[in-house]
Amino acid sequence: MSAFWLTYLPVAIILSSLLPGLIIFTLKEQQVKLRISLNLLGVTVKLVLVLIMWQAVKAGDIFYFSLPFLPGADLVLQGDALSLLFVVLSSVLWLATTVYAIGYLENSPLRSRFFGYFSLCVSATVGLALSGNLVSFLLFYELLTLATFPLVVHRGTPQSLAAGRRYLAYTLSGGVLLLTGIALLHSVVQSPQFIPGGYVSAAVSEHAGLLTLAFALMIGGLGVKAALLPLHGWLPQAMVAPAPVSALLHAVAVVKAGAFGIIRLVYDVFGVDGMQQLQLAQPLMLLAAATILFGSWRALAQQDIKRRLAYSTISQVSYITVGVAMLGPLAAVGGLVHLVHQGVMKITLFFCAGNYAETLGVHKIRELNGAGRRMPLTSAAFTLAALGMIGIPPTAGFISKWYLGLGAVATDNSLMLMVFVLSGLLNAGYFLPIVYRLWFLPQRGSWPKEQRLSATLETHWMLLLPMLFTAVLIILMGLFASTGVSPLSWAQLIVEREFSYD
Amino acid sequence: MIDLSSWLWPGAGLGLLTELQQVWWYFTLSLWCVAGIFSLSFMAQSAHKGRYWLFFSLSFAGNMLLIGALDAISFYIGFSIMSLSAYGLVVDSGSKAARRAGRLYLQLAILGELLLFAALILRASAAGGQYDWQSWQQVPLDHLTILLTILGLGLKAGFWPLHIWLPQAHPAAPAPASAVLSGAMIKAGILGLIVFLPSGDPQLQHWIPYMVTLGFISAVFGVLASLLYRQPKVILAYSSVSQVGYIVVLVALAWTADAVAVLPVLIAYAAHHAFAKGALFLYAGINAKQRLPDYWQLLYWGPALALMAVPLSGGAAIKTGLKSLLSSDVVPGWLNGEVLTSLLSLGAILTALLFLHLAVALQRQQREYQHTADPGLALYWQGACLVLLLLILIWLPWYWQPMLQLSQHTLAWSKIWGLSWPLLAAVGIFMLGRWQQWRLPARYYDRNSPVLAWSLRLKRLYQPQRQWQAPVFKFNWRGIERACNRTATGSVVGSSALVVLVLLVLITFWQYFA
Repeated sequence: MSAFWLTYLPVAIILSSLLPGLIIFTLKEQQVKLRISLNLLGVTVKLVLVLIMWQAVKAGDIFYFSLPFLPGADLVLQGDALSLLFVVLSSVLWLATTVYAIGYLENSPLRSRFFGYFSLCVSATVGLALSGNLVSFLLFYELLTLATFPLVVHRGTPQSLAAGRRYLAYTLSGGVLLLTGIALLHSVVQSPQFIPGGYVSAAVSEHAGLLTLAFALMIGGLGVKAALLPLHGWLPQAMVAPAPVSALLHAVAVVKAGAFGIIRLVYDVFGVDGMQQLQLAQPLMLLAAATILFGSWRALAQQDIKRRLAYSTISQVSYITVGVAMLGPLAAVGGLVHLVHQGVMKITLFFCAGNYAETLGVHKIRELNGAGRRMPLTSAAFTLAALGMIGIPPTAGFISKWYLGLGAVATDNSLMLMVFVLSGLLNAGYFLPIVYRLWFLPQRGSWPKEQRLSATLETHWMLLLPMLFTAVLIILMGLFASTGVSPLSWAQLIVEREFSYD
Repeated sequence: MIDLSSWLWPGAGLGLLTELQQVWWYFTLSLWCVAGIFSLSFMAQSAHKGRYWLFFSLSFAGNMLLIGALDAISFYIGFSIMSLSAYGLVVDSGSKAARRAGRLYLQLAILGELLLFAALILRASAAGGQYDWQSWQQVPLDHLTILLTILGLGLKAGFWPLHIWLPQAHPAAPAPASAVLSGAMIKAGILGLIVFLPSGDPQLQHWIPYMVTLGFISAVFGVLASLLYRQPKVILAYSSVSQVGYIVVLVALAWTADAVAVLPVLIAYAAHHAFAKGALFLYAGINAKQRLPDYWQLLYWGPALALMAVPLSGGAAIKTGLKSLLSSDVVPGWLNGEVLTSLLSLGAILTALLFLHLAVALQRQQREYQHTADPGLALYWQGACLVLLLLILIWLPWYWQPMLQLSQHTLAWSKIWGLSWPLLAAVGIFMLGRWQQWRLPARYYDRNSPVLAWSLRLKRLYQPQRQWQAPVFKFNWRGIERACNRTATGSVVGSSALVVLVLLVLITFWQYFA
């Protein structure tokens, strides 16, 4: 690949969604066709570019782009295996979510604003994935916060405004914590490029206290988005947003950005050695384990579909953190692959929840009785994703749980294996009753607010297609995990590169 | 053998390499096919036919997959598919009892699944990332893995005390589904116990005496519990608990170093029990629906006598085989061979009692129908399935090589007497009991099992209506702000500005001189 592409491809990937987004802001509400074409053009271009980059990174190329920004910290974009994992995830799911959002928001007001911020949001996510040092990461991280806020409050109801305020309060204070942490770290070791094995080891003996403080601050900042235990409060509230936004929050961008930040922090800033010397991994792992159990436990009592899914996200995202914090290669594979698997499964669940809400007007779990007969495809996808969340083979969820389990045993954390089993039981406890209602209980009265969105299909095809696409992915990623194109093999590649630095 | 390791995971493959797998495959396949043919007519009037066939074929597929699996993950996939889809068979009727039974079944199935998952993780870690049976044979076990495996698979196999779902689920499911549940699916747990735990493992040897004891407890418990129930399918379910007890004894014996002698008996036992119990469940299904002509009772007594181990039957062959295994000198651990063989005779009496009790229960059910209906095509179709199973049962001991050898041992007069006297004793006891009207107080019969209450309590635990809520601290600054404002009466803007200015000047001076 030519030197030009090695430099500018990361920029092009960000611009491929940023430019259409900016143009969409200027469009009139009625220019539906132009807006849709711009959106789809952006998605297609991005996917093609990402594909090119993926092939190149697989072959061993390194992408690097930098602009002078702060003294000692340039604005760096780099494409390595880890960033590609997140870029591919968010681009593919962006495709699904865009199609879904077009169908979901058909004939609703303020669509230009919505899709503009939507594209901005994905640009920020991709930028965050590609950023090459902590300072650029922070920049995109904050941009993501700001770009998501208008989406959360999109409906403009008092409830969503309240949720938006809460979201902003949480994420901005998280941002301040992250900023402080990064500044503190910068004062100690500067902000060089992310590098496998980290760059703090040299300073550990001298500045152990400062480094620990910086780590705690940064985890506090990232933990807000990753919904770690005391900082998770915004996520269940933000479920008042429209379904595509929930999908974006839970699967594509926000929550994942936090988890991705934690991965970067642990592997490429502090490094496995640094984490071990500072003894930071154990507390992080226990915190994440507590979050897993707490989220699952809270999900049990939720009577609103999306609220239950939100608590489930809190629990599932912490699997990633646990996998990372166990500091073993197998556990890392499990955590990294769960980043992708959780995203695909959770986005399917949110698509399904959106379909029930849009087609039948159903928001509460007890209203779902007999929905399997009315909407068989949606219900089948929901069932599949729910089984995946529990970790039943041959779904994707099983693969990540399997590797996390192997990793727990390999790093002598049998306690974590117990946590996984317990969480699996809790997952079954809150997902299977829904599945039972869908398929085995008769419909109770008429649906709250039924709409006929399609003459032949159970609902609008644009709502159906993305959901089926992700549902099929769940099975494919689970069954063909060992083939060369699976997320698992990519996670193994990352771990190979991350753990073989010396 | 189909090698899938390049496509799926290392060691992935399907095939029937050992005799164990082959026999298991064929008897399971035949039972499923017969049950399927039976269902064609038996379930023709069912309300949810599509759903029934969906779950039937899914669990069929899962069951066959786990038998043909050459690696642990394929086994686990098949096991999960089978376990979860069998839920659809249990709740098929949609009645309240079926839904309750289904809930208990699913709770335990998920629990078993996750316990097995933990066991698999521990085992795969010990094996260093290898998943195929062959490499697992060489890897030593540890106690935690053994415990988790026995619990996870035992919940499917249904021996005491892990049997609690059996007497609930089997009566609730439609007859062909109970036939495969009892004949084929609980055998999947047994198969797992053999292939997951390599025979001759030193740690495993400590478990053998306990498992043998557990098997005998299960065998005796099943019969005693069944005598307290009058519903034919509940009695049959408890009979399965009791029969699985014997199979568990055989599994434990197969864990010793010389599995070669045990495996043929074990395989024969499993196959024989599958056909006999399948036939009995199908018969119970027909029996409950209409009044049958009297000669149809032959279809009951055929498999029942086989399980009672009447001389010349298949049951006689395997019971004799089991006895000779237990009376040999190499009884493991602290067990006493003589006690065990006398327990076997006791077990034979009890089994015979169970089937006599069942015959009475079936007769009682028949008396509810006044007229003998003219058997139509549907009934003949169902009867033909039963005849088919009966023919297999007659054929097995005399034409199937592994069982033929066992059968030939039973032909001596002493053996025939050894088999016959427990039956005669059982008939005697039974007659005596009928004549003297030995009965417990009525409240002991047909009791609702406490496990349903536990299951309900568990459900309330995971479906809470309300949960502890974190107290919300709301701190309102407004009051404090007002209090501050009240202290400063009059215009504060001017004075505040002055204070700020003075401070600025002071800071500048201080900076300048410092």
